[in-house]
Amino acid sequence: MDEIAKRENNAMRSEDKSAVLLVRESPGQPSDPYKMRELCGLSHAAGYRVLAEISQRRGRDHLFQMGRGKIEEALSYCPSRLIFYNPLSPSQVYNIKSEFGAQVLDRFNLILEIFSSRASTREAKMQVELARLSYDAPQVRNTLALKKRGEQPGFRGAGAYEQAMYHDIRSRMAKIRAELSTVEGMGQSRRLRRREQGFDLVALAGYTNAGKSTLLNYLTGSEVRTQDQPFTTLSPTTRALEVLGRRVLLTDTVGFIDDLPHFLIKAFRSTLAEISEADLVLLVADISDPIELLRRKLIASHKALWDCDVASPIVTILNKADRLDEKEAAERVENVRDLAPHPVLASAVTGRGLGLLEECLSQRLQPLPEHEIRLPYTSQGLSQLSRLYQSAELVKVRYEEELIVRLRGRKESLARAGLDKALLE
Amino acid sequence: MVCAAVSARISPNFLERIVSVRMTHKWASSLDINLISDIIIEACTGLTGIIVAESGDLYNLEVWRVKSIMGRDFKYPQTIAERTAVELAHHISLAGRRLIRDGRDSQERE
Repeated sequence: MDEIAKRENNAMRSEDKSAVLLVRESPGQPSDPYKMRELCGLSHAAGYRVLAEISQRRGRDHLFQMGRGKIEEALSYCPSRLIFYNPLSPSQVYNIKSEFGAQVLDRFNLILEIFSSRASTREAKMQVELARLSYDAPQVRNTLALKKRGEQPGFRGAGAYEQAMYHDIRSRMAKIRAELSTVEGMGQSRRLRRREQGFDLVALAGYTNAGKSTLLNYLTGSEVRTQDQPFTTLSPTTRALEVLGRRVLLTDTVGFIDDLPHFLIKAFRSTLAEISEADLVLLVADISDPIELLRRKLIASHKALWDCDVASPIVTILNKADRLDEKEAAERVENVRDLAPHPVLASAVTGRGLGLLEECLSQRLQPLPEHEIRLPYTSQGLSQLSRLYQSAELVKVRYEEELIVRLRGRKESLARAGLDKALLE
Repeated sequence: MVCAAVSARISPNFLERIVSVRMTHKWASSLDINLISDIIIEACTGLTGIIVAESGDLYNLEVWRVKSIMGRDFKYPQTIAERTAVELAHHISLAGRRLIRDGRDSQERE
């Protein structure tokens, strides 16, 4: 009986996930329809049914962010939530709640909600929790300070419990950070091991909903979950691929988004390390976007890559090229030339341009150095040779008094096979 | 106040070539936008191309306002290479400022 009630309750809850979207634009700036579109996409991804979209052009209202009338208009649709594009201060959230009795969310909280609903691995869950706590901590401190302002000693003061709340948050954050740093260390050793095994690490990065997972699926023939909505992928997924003789590990990562607070990027550092430590970054962008939006997304991606300290070469892929005809595509490529010098036009759905991409990949990856090694003509030496066939690219094997092997590969992988002493330089 | 100008040829991801590096300095008791734009223009005289500077250095003014104050083509950093170039200029100006300050300190001591 209880279960049925619970299920009904859940159904009701999922049913009434409806929202009205509100965007405030500053008077001095030109109007920007993409803000509303992005907010709409994000709300759909979080499972909200959008009842109406309301935008207003005015300066920031310090009480409610938007005008009182607009909020009343939004509430006339009877939504369960009001979703604001603009960031809300704690006092604005409090004011709107107490004045209109409405539940509110801003863009950042909406993104966090999507993240927490998608987080499946322990790492991702911790990252989302850290992001939420680092958002909450200053707000809690602010509220506590406001509470204490009118306090008199011994009379209706904020108790030890309230004081402890802020410290609890801080200590939880420290604990998560420590755990995440071990995860980061694990990731680092994993990347090292992969390099030792002779793989090149390639990361797929780009604005959210650019088609990174679809590209990964097409290139590697895997079946990672893909959807036409932002933030489908949260945890990195790695698949192996062979590109013109080079063994490559392709990693799909979480998408970027514009105007994210820096602590969210910090919280996802261990995931973003997959991008910063890669040998090559494939920056995926959606060419079917209008030119202005495409430029803005590319700039946001460059900023995010800058924030992750990427030093490796970047290849820009303009995905979804099947949605445009050739003339339009050429025009857009020309327009983003300063942001993407030699882009690869591709379509992850039809497979167009992916041959060119593979060529580009093998060109941009650093050529492996050639080594010559000497192996003894014993069964041990021969077994080492057969192992080399797996982890390195053999150029020539001469069977003389000893085995002289000329090969292309990383020094790390030779060191791992215990062959660094056999090097002939 | 020290201003460093790095003139470079860039591709979106890398600094391809640094053409010149220049430093100018000025004593000022307050920092207003005119003063900042003056010193930037002074550092960039004779260098062609677009001026790129950090938005925080110009009080986050919109690009069109900065352009009209300076009277030259201007943008905020967008690509990775532009950010690298700005970072380079920051390092140079900071080092220059330290040099000047330390030199003054040692003169005063003498």
